Amino acid sequence: MNKTPVTLPLLSDTMQTGRLARWLKQPGDPIKTGDVLAEVESDKAVMEVEAYADGYLAGPLAPTDTYIPVQSTIAWITDVPASESAAAPPPAAAAPATPTPTAAPTPAAAPQTPAATTPPTPAPASPTPAAAPAAVAPPAAADAPSPVVAAALAVGSDDAGASPFARGLATELGIDLTQLTAGADGRIGAAQVLAAALGPQFPHLELGPIHSIERPSPIKAAMAENMARSEHTPTFHVTAAIDLAPLHDAAHAHHESLSLLLARACALSIHEHPDFNACWTPRGLARRERIDVAIAVDTPDGLITPVLRNALRPLDELNEDWRELKGKLQNRRLKPEDYSGATFYLSNLGTFPVVEQFDAIVPLGAASILAVSAAGPDGLTRLTLSCDHRVVAGADAARFLTTLSQHLSAVEALQQ
Amino acid sequence: MQTLSYWEALNHALDAEMASDEAVIVLGEDVGLYGGTYRVTEGLYAKYGERRVLDTPISEGSFTGLAVGAAMTGLRPVVEIMTINFALLALDALINMAAKIPFMSGGQFTMPLTVRMPGGVAHQLGAQHSQRLEHTLMNVAGLRIVVPATPQDAYWQLRQAIRADDCVIVLEHEVLNFDKGPVDEAASAPPPHRAVVRRPGRDLTLISYSRMANQALAAAGQLAAEGIEAEVIDLRSLSPIDWDTCAASVRKTGHLLIAEEDSRFAGAGAELAAGLTERCFRSLRAAPLRVAALDLPNAYNKRLEEHTIPQPADIVAAAHALVRDDAEEIVA
Repeated sequence: MNKTPVTLPLLSDTMQTGRLARWLKQPGDPIKTGDVLAEVESDKAVMEVEAYADGYLAGPLAPTDTYIPVQSTIAWITDVPASESAAAPPPAAAAPATPTPTAAPTPAAAPQTPAATTPPTPAPASPTPAAAPAAVAPPAAADAPSPVVAAALAVGSDDAGASPFARGLATELGIDLTQLTAGADGRIGAAQVLAAALGPQFPHLELGPIHSIERPSPIKAAMAENMARSEHTPTFHVTAAIDLAPLHDAAHAHHESLSLLLARACALSIHEHPDFNACWTPRGLARRERIDVAIAVDTPDGLITPVLRNALRPLDELNEDWRELKGKLQNRRLKPEDYSGATFYLSNLGTFPVVEQFDAIVPLGAASILAVSAAGPDGLTRLTLSCDHRVVAGADAARFLTTLSQHLSAVEALQQ
Repeated sequence: MQTLSYWEALNHALDAEMASDEAVIVLGEDVGLYGGTYRVTEGLYAKYGERRVLDTPISEGSFTGLAVGAAMTGLRPVVEIMTINFALLALDALINMAAKIPFMSGGQFTMPLTVRMPGGVAHQLGAQHSQRLEHTLMNVAGLRIVVPATPQDAYWQLRQAIRADDCVIVLEHEVLNFDKGPVDEAASAPPPHRAVVRRPGRDLTLISYSRMANQALAAAGQLAAEGIEAEVIDLRSLSPIDWDTCAASVRKTGHLLIAEEDSRFAGAGAELAAGLTERCFRSLRAAPLRVAALDLPNAYNKRLEEHTIPQPADIVAAAHALVRDDAEEIVA
């Protein structure tokens, strides 16, 4: 079987890469010389790629909408139809010849081990990482650094971690570098150290009465740390007034936990509004594939948040999990994996009749937390949703609360 | 104050030293009757005669060796090696004799020898006639190396070299020869090895020398237009290096960029990067960056030649790369 490569044509003097707009033929189509195979956008115009041989178009076809260096192979023309050629193993060269956007800049990646990799060449010529890529004319050469700059940057500083200056500052300011989050470039810089130093302010106790220091339990310390970290979350609050009396009565009648019913209603609502299961990260929105609802519990050790994994499940399954979690809680056997990593939080202070309404703090890792208070004099219960405004907006919260109120009034469905 | 070109400043310096000290003699190829290939010895033959201005044959090893002997016997010879490219023939006299005799004689012999070497990448002279050898000379203990970038420094540093009792290499740059600048012959000179801050700045320290110091200054002008303030240091001396001036600047800016015309590998920039990392590690916000000539023989072709050595645009691009991370860091 003969195979003729189809290459990306050079359509103008300045053209170094082209973008395939679309393929007009598919693999297996019979081709005659002069047939238009594809359309290519050069740096100036859309042009047609014509066949220079008769035969059948064969893949792999280069992808559309990516920039491909000129003269790269974008397809093949074979002398037998695709069905027959498919039986024959493709030549090894076919795959690397197909340009991909990641393949193009590889010459620049080569000098990672500059001097060592080229021992056979004469000594003065060997450490010239920049000279080779220049000759290859990589795509976007207009923005490519000059050989001199490329040589300067080739070594670069690839070590992550903290800059020497940041380390020095951290030592002087008493900041623990391991507690800091790296900047966008993956390094801890002076800015991160200073932010940590200037961030949480601790009280000066010298001028007050004599005091003693009580070391916090690990749980309390973790909670304090989490809450402090949440300080920079841009938060807003939306409150709904809902008649929870029917749900309350039903739960009482069936000896069911109201919190669990609320958690399930939240999970059902999140299922319809998946943004509430996402969380903001510097790299983008983290969308989770499971809804894990944590329920805040008041314990002698402090606030703790056991997590109901996959809270969309039927109520009796959740009941079972919850009983197990409460057992561990009472025996102080709760492990970090039992109380960490929730995607949504529920805080219910409805057992305190004086609490008419309150705001909860959105914990790190969640987009939202629901604060449930006791019923007010009007018989309605205030449910306040605190939201990370980077993830959801006010109207999203309003829609979520509307859905939630529908689920909370469909008592029998919730109990299933 | 007068305005002189670089070669005129060197000529004035020679004239002044020859006038004030009869022990000063000049020797080299075409330095006498012809007045020097780069005109630096113009008029000296007529003024001081053939006993003090010696035309030599093409024999760098011999006449440099002769000058070493002359220096040992009390003269103050100034050798002109026509271009640095021919200094390779004189390396035995320089490295094995001039640099070591004071040490090996326990200080009984001084070495008041000055060796002038015009060099650097000139325009389209090809690989054998357009090179930098500072990395070779810097590695020789016992040699001092000055690299004047301005006519004033050329004047001062040549005079100081002639008066010094050590062997001093004056690395001139051929491209600077017709650069003009103010020269105050009456002003007192700073120590010959003292680096100078040619432009103050807060964002990065840009260290360079010889002609590249002027290129660095041009790049700093472009950077300033974008709000990046580079502190430009002209080293003036490669041996010894004025670490104090450099380190003070790096401690201020936290960023070090080195621009040199010599090749990267084992060059002056490598010494600067290592020496300043040792001295200023805790002040560095990023790894030092060097823009240097590619590790290649110099090309004859004009475009290739320009691409081989750093241009102001390259220094600007490297400065961007160096301070960019930090800018993002502060925004983040």
